[in-house]
Amino acid sequence: MSNIDRRTLVKGSFAAMMAGAAFSRGAFADTSEPILLGVSGPLTGPNAQYGTQWKQGFDLALDEIMAAGGINGRKLAYQFEDSQSDPRQSVAIAQKFVSNPAIVLELGDFSSPASMAASPIYQRGGLVQFGFTNSHPDFTKGGDFMWSTSVSQADEQPLLAAYAVKRLGLKKLAVLHLNTDWGRTSRDYFVKAAKEYGAEIAVTEGYIAEERDFRSTLVRVRDANPDGLILISYYSDGALIARQARQVGLKQVMCAASSVYSPKFIELGGEAVEDVHVGTRYFPEDTRPEVQKFIAGFKKKYNGQEPDAFNAYAYDAMNMAAAVVKIGGTDRKAIRDAFTKVKDVPSVIFGTATFDVATRRVKGAMNAELVVRKGQFALWDGKPT
Amino acid sequence: MSSWLDYTINGLIVGNVYALVAVGLALIFGVSRLINFAQGSIYLVGAYIGWVAVVQLHTPLPLTIIVVAVAAAIVGLIIERFGLRPLQNSVRIAPLLATIGISFVLDQLVMLTFSPNPRALPSQLPDVRFQVGGGTIGPLDLLIAGVGLTSALLLFVFLRYSKLGWAVRAASQDRDAAMQMGVDVNRVNQAVFGIAAALGGVSGMLVGMYYNQIDTAMSLQATLKGVVAEVVGGAGNVPGAVIGSLLLGLVESYGVAVFGTSYRNLFAFLLLVVVLVLRPNGLFASARQAPPEPLTGTFIAPSRPVRIPRWALAVASAGFAVLPLFPVSFYVLQTLINAWLLGMLALSLTLVAGTIGQVSLGHAALLAIGAYTSALLSLALNVPVGLAVIGGGLMSAALGTLLISPSFRLRGHYVSIATLAIGEIVSLVILNWESVTRGPIGISGIPPLSLFGYDLISPTSIYWFSFAVMVVLALLQGRLLDSHLGRSFRAIRDDDVAARAYGLSLNRYKSLAFIFGGFAAGISGGIAAHLYSYINHETFNTQQSILALTVVILGGLGNVVGAMLGAVALVGLPEVFRIAAEYRILIYGIVLLLLVRFRPQGLLGTM
Repeated sequence: MSNIDRRTLVKGSFAAMMAGAAFSRGAFADTSEPILLGVSGPLTGPNAQYGTQWKQGFDLALDEIMAAGGINGRKLAYQFEDSQSDPRQSVAIAQKFVSNPAIVLELGDFSSPASMAASPIYQRGGLVQFGFTNSHPDFTKGGDFMWSTSVSQADEQPLLAAYAVKRLGLKKLAVLHLNTDWGRTSRDYFVKAAKEYGAEIAVTEGYIAEERDFRSTLVRVRDANPDGLILISYYSDGALIARQARQVGLKQVMCAASSVYSPKFIELGGEAVEDVHVGTRYFPEDTRPEVQKFIAGFKKKYNGQEPDAFNAYAYDAMNMAAAVVKIGGTDRKAIRDAFTKVKDVPSVIFGTATFDVATRRVKGAMNAELVVRKGQFALWDGKPT
Repeated sequence: MSSWLDYTINGLIVGNVYALVAVGLALIFGVSRLINFAQGSIYLVGAYIGWVAVVQLHTPLPLTIIVVAVAAAIVGLIIERFGLRPLQNSVRIAPLLATIGISFVLDQLVMLTFSPNPRALPSQLPDVRFQVGGGTIGPLDLLIAGVGLTSALLLFVFLRYSKLGWAVRAASQDRDAAMQMGVDVNRVNQAVFGIAAALGGVSGMLVGMYYNQIDTAMSLQATLKGVVAEVVGGAGNVPGAVIGSLLLGLVESYGVAVFGTSYRNLFAFLLLVVVLVLRPNGLFASARQAPPEPLTGTFIAPSRPVRIPRWALAVASAGFAVLPLFPVSFYVLQTLINAWLLGMLALSLTLVAGTIGQVSLGHAALLAIGAYTSALLSLALNVPVGLAVIGGGLMSAALGTLLISPSFRLRGHYVSIATLAIGEIVSLVILNWESVTRGPIGISGIPPLSLFGYDLISPTSIYWFSFAVMVVLALLQGRLLDSHLGRSFRAIRDDDVAARAYGLSLNRYKSLAFIFGGFAAGISGGIAAHLYSYINHETFNTQQSILALTVVILGGLGNVVGAMLGAVALVGLPEVFRIAAEYRILIYGIVLLLLVRFRPQGLLGTM
């Protein structure tokens, strides 16, 4: 919200609510007005933390886009509407964005129920829904206005399986996963790949997002006698599992999905996450220029804070949106077509991102094999832990 | 074999954590007969005050505990003085709604102050581990157990042997008699809220240290598990709450051991339902103990409903019916569609909660049953959508009534808790019954609404359709309330002993009410499924149940027009407050509190 004058926004929202004829038609042809993107995401409610991380990534990307001269001389801005990741609110927001001619492209929502409930409205309204954290395999099947830069789990999980099985030499695995659409899909791809690489799956355990006590789950894992633990978790639950694994006496190697990649994982996990292996899409010492620019810019803007995976997704998404709008202009249909034309957009996650027009997703995520050493994420040196 | 020792220890450890919340809840319930939904929020506040003390002020542990206890007690006293005391002479359900509003406000204040990012709360105890069985326990486990047991013991002694304790017990047995005997009931309430809040705050801090993690989402979960533990032990029974918590921890741990992690909460809630059905006063109630809920239905006090003339209703309906003909945005229409869908749910709940007095806290389960039935009928069996939605309503009526029937013999708060548990059970069954529901992946590609071969795709047509369905259901319900059935329902609500003496079969009438209510809720869920095109186990969650109850209480219990008005208000308000961005839920909570404060009988009054 920090990018548009609050008063304009207040007036806009009021107008949209009361009469529906939101922004006056004269206004948006005016090139001094910013090009407006709609964002539907959680700012309150149980997923609020992810919405605030999005904002950090968006704001950094916008600063850089403005510094580089904006979109053909025009400003780019976003209007963030809080959905609480609730489908009831995301559908209302979808109608709000679709009926506001100033909005040229929509980003979000966060969770699958909220995003995919809104998809039919965006599809019929002819507004692109650009879901950059939507890994649900059916998300882009909602229609040709649904596009996603979320790393497909069909891509990511084989990389993690290769790290665990081929590189770390684990043979008998226990998989702990969030029992959500993301965690479940990820688990299935991981198990398939790990088996192909010759590992045995000793046990898989799915837990709900609110779970905090994992000790009994870990005893189950212990009794299955694996030589490695795979965490398909977010950073907060991943840290809890790592701590409690040490408490119940598990000393096996742990290997986690990229979604734990956050300074918070180390802050919350403390010594227990030491030597945890993480397959990620980028890492601090990565020499790629887009990564260095992202990390340096992020630290500068946010008082030395390290960016995490969700910051990076949002940063990439805003850069992609800018690249698309540069090609497509402000016409919604032209913007959809621009997604098929946009090529090699610099990306922290993908190196360079180009959409596969058939799946409306991006393939070829970068891969880095990290390990937590002395309270820092570091590139794995190949030594066993 | 050694694994079973480990499962037992782990169950006791987590039971310990639950006990801290359950004791506070039990204390408050013992005196005010109130499930304090704000207890989890006080626990959250305590955790964050602890964070400030430890991380910013570097206080040593004993001082940290004192700081947190005092600060949390002050919050508790403020809640008692300004949130609950003004409501003590109003309907018994008003304070319940007030605690829900207070919990919104407190959670939001914490989120706005500290940001929603989780934080580490380092333990200040030495990091030594003791080997027990295959695993280890640390000093914090012992401290948590110590605090739980000591506080339960102290409270037990206090209630039994001190003068203020007698006053507390007297007030809990018969408030009016206690007042006549010169007990200052307000002071008793203050003492109880202060103690319970101090305990809640310290628990939040200790649990935060235990997991080295605090975040704003911890409040609702703490309340849920605390309520389960408390009721298992016998509501209002402080030592029972500790034992109930340990038992809950054990059942969860053994459940994980035998069936796997994803079944964990299923066992927790099944335990609750079984205990409620077999021993409604909790495991540790003595046979002589007076029932904890009054014999007659003072839970819902009648009030004079606001009579709205028929012509006004007709004009309002006509106004809403022609609204899409005017240039209103699709956003407004979509918001009202949400209101109509919530309105159908509220009609269902106002019938079972308001008219017959079974206050359900698991109503979202009926939505889920309707939605999954309708989605699966249309996808797997190619049933036309219109029929599939009706199928959803019928399934919800049948299955919902069947599931809820064990709770028919319960009264007052116990019905709410049992239905809360049944709601959670339905959601967990949806999560785990993958061959039918596709588990967490959910059902996608649900076809849009259609009627007689015409797709209802535009917001205008969906608006008319959902509005028409709601109005038809409301008219039917109005007819029902005016018939002899309606009178029987209200008789059961107002005095079930007298109703039975007149020869009314309670179970049969309760079933009828749930069949009708289940149908309306199932229809609402079915329409939602086709509207969203994608549903999973999270689409219809506990927050929906709480929202529905809020709508019903706000509109006036049993009041058909009130249910619809409440739905429009509670869907509309958060949208109107959108301009306030992050502050909107805070404002919503405050508005809710003010409404409860000044219209405790609901906007239109109890019918």
